[in-house]
Amino acid sequence: MSNKSRISRNESIQIQIIKTISITILVFGAITMIIPFIWSVITSLKSPENVFGHSAFWIQFPPDFSAYKEIWNRVPLLLYAGNTLKVALIVTFGQLATSSLAGFAFARLKFPGREKLFFIYIATMMVPGMILLIPNFVVMKYLGAINSHWALILTSIGSAFGTFLMRQFFLSFPSELEDAAKLDGCNPLMFYWYILLPNSKAILTTLGLMAFQGIWNDFQWPLIVLNSESKRTLQLGLSYLMSEYYTDWTLLMAGAILTLLPIIILFFTVQKYFVQSFKFTGLKG
Amino acid sequence: MVSDSTSEIEKQTSWTKKNHVREAVWGYLLITPNFLIILLFTVIPVFISLYMSLTDWNILSKPNFIGFENYEKILVDKVAQETFFNTFYFTVISVPINVIITLLLAVLLNQKIRGITFFRTAFYLPVISASVAVSLMFMWVLANNGLLNQMLGSVGLDPIRWLTDPKIALNSIIGVTIWKGLGLNMIIFLAALQDIPKELLEAAAIDGANRIQQFVKITVPLLSPVIFFVTVTGVIGSFQSFDLVYNMTRGGPGHSTTVIGYYIWRQAFDYLHMGYGSALAYVVFIAILIFTIIQWFLRKRWVYSED
Repeated sequence: MSNKSRISRNESIQIQIIKTISITILVFGAITMIIPFIWSVITSLKSPENVFGHSAFWIQFPPDFSAYKEIWNRVPLLLYAGNTLKVALIVTFGQLATSSLAGFAFARLKFPGREKLFFIYIATMMVPGMILLIPNFVVMKYLGAINSHWALILTSIGSAFGTFLMRQFFLSFPSELEDAAKLDGCNPLMFYWYILLPNSKAILTTLGLMAFQGIWNDFQWPLIVLNSESKRTLQLGLSYLMSEYYTDWTLLMAGAILTLLPIIILFFTVQKYFVQSFKFTGLKG
Repeated sequence: MVSDSTSEIEKQTSWTKKNHVREAVWGYLLITPNFLIILLFTVIPVFISLYMSLTDWNILSKPNFIGFENYEKILVDKVAQETFFNTFYFTVISVPINVIITLLLAVLLNQKIRGITFFRTAFYLPVISASVAVSLMFMWVLANNGLLNQMLGSVGLDPIRWLTDPKIALNSIIGVTIWKGLGLNMIIFLAALQDIPKELLEAAAIDGANRIQQFVKITVPLLSPVIFFVTVTGVIGSFQSFDLVYNMTRGGPGHSTTVIGYYIWRQAFDYLHMGYGSALAYVVFIAILIFTIIQWFLRKRWVYSED
């Protein structure tokens, strides 16, 4: 008895030690993750003369909001936000529609060549995006879509990954459901619309979130296809702001914070779906 | 019984009222919008790209077919070689560090500890943040008079030129890349860890295995498919990195941070060398393919499988 309890006491001390070390490492890691954000917020709320030197580490009180006022005069942020939101919403809902329809067809309908076509889908997921930049630029030029938001919308409105994901999900519905729908005289589209979609809200939200975030944060493709200022997305605008006001740190940090805020707010409202989307990204590769 | 009756029903009432043609038409109709986009912007471009890599096209004039000249040019282009080396260095450093740290973090987070939501959220924040904003924040953190150097200064150390010293700049970019990517792989590992049956670890503990032995002998082998996957996607991702380099250093100082993703962009969209850019992109594409295939075969050696 006494022997046994000594072992368990040793063990619980060991567990305590491991936990303490773990928490120390995690706290250190979390601080490393958060500090750049906090430092940016602190800087953005400073008067320019307090950015450097001894006062650099301290939070200025009262905070100076002039950078947040000034930035609207320097760049048309609202226009950029509007452009980005427009493209992101069209792509999100477009991708949900095309992917879920195609996923439904691959999962639930029989047609010649189905397996081969699906294989093409899987194969395209392996193609690195980098090799598509130049030819897609050429295709867009040919379509007259350069410097138009169509160039951003068209390439993303269909998705092999989305189709793959929706197919896997739709396969999991019991075939009895389909039989019942057939007996009630549903056509495939009615079955999709009235039975499958209402029961797929979580996966649609996650996929939609991935599409939205992808467009919101995308940088390289807009950089390549958009050239007039009025067409810029938020990320492009921020990047140009950076090259124009090179060391105006309070202004630049205000810009960074303002463009991050929508996604961070979205993240805190629907965190569950974000986490799910990370796992899907794992699937994506 | 059940399946019998189901197939009975299926015979009597299909979508198509025994008309398979109609079901097929529905099928083709529903995949068309998505399939057209994939065809136009993924499948066909792979071939356009191959063709373009064999031409001297510069947008302004008509393309001339020049055979493998672009590929030969890569062999003598010193900057391209430097770029390939930088990319290789970038990959070899960033991917293993990322995998090791994220695995460790996931194991730590997989315990019953307080504040777990806070830790997870902290690691997710960089993942959801746009790369341009991240570049901006870190240009300030790493500026000559930025946070890091001010901290060094406050303990009496000399400042480091994080982004302007050619020997250091690429390492700084690698650091930011790792910082931004930790949360993503962490959640993938965490999900995999939660799938490992507790009984296995308990059984090992009863047999006298300590925690480190449990980790090495049970957790890592069971996670090896995920480690494999995360490594492959990490390599593919790092071959294509662009945003941070573009925004933080524009490939400089000199060519010290020019990675292949940036060099291709530069050739194609700055100098309008579309043909040469395509050839470079194709080399990377083939490299990724070969790498993935090699990994796929090596996988059998080091990835644990259940049979």
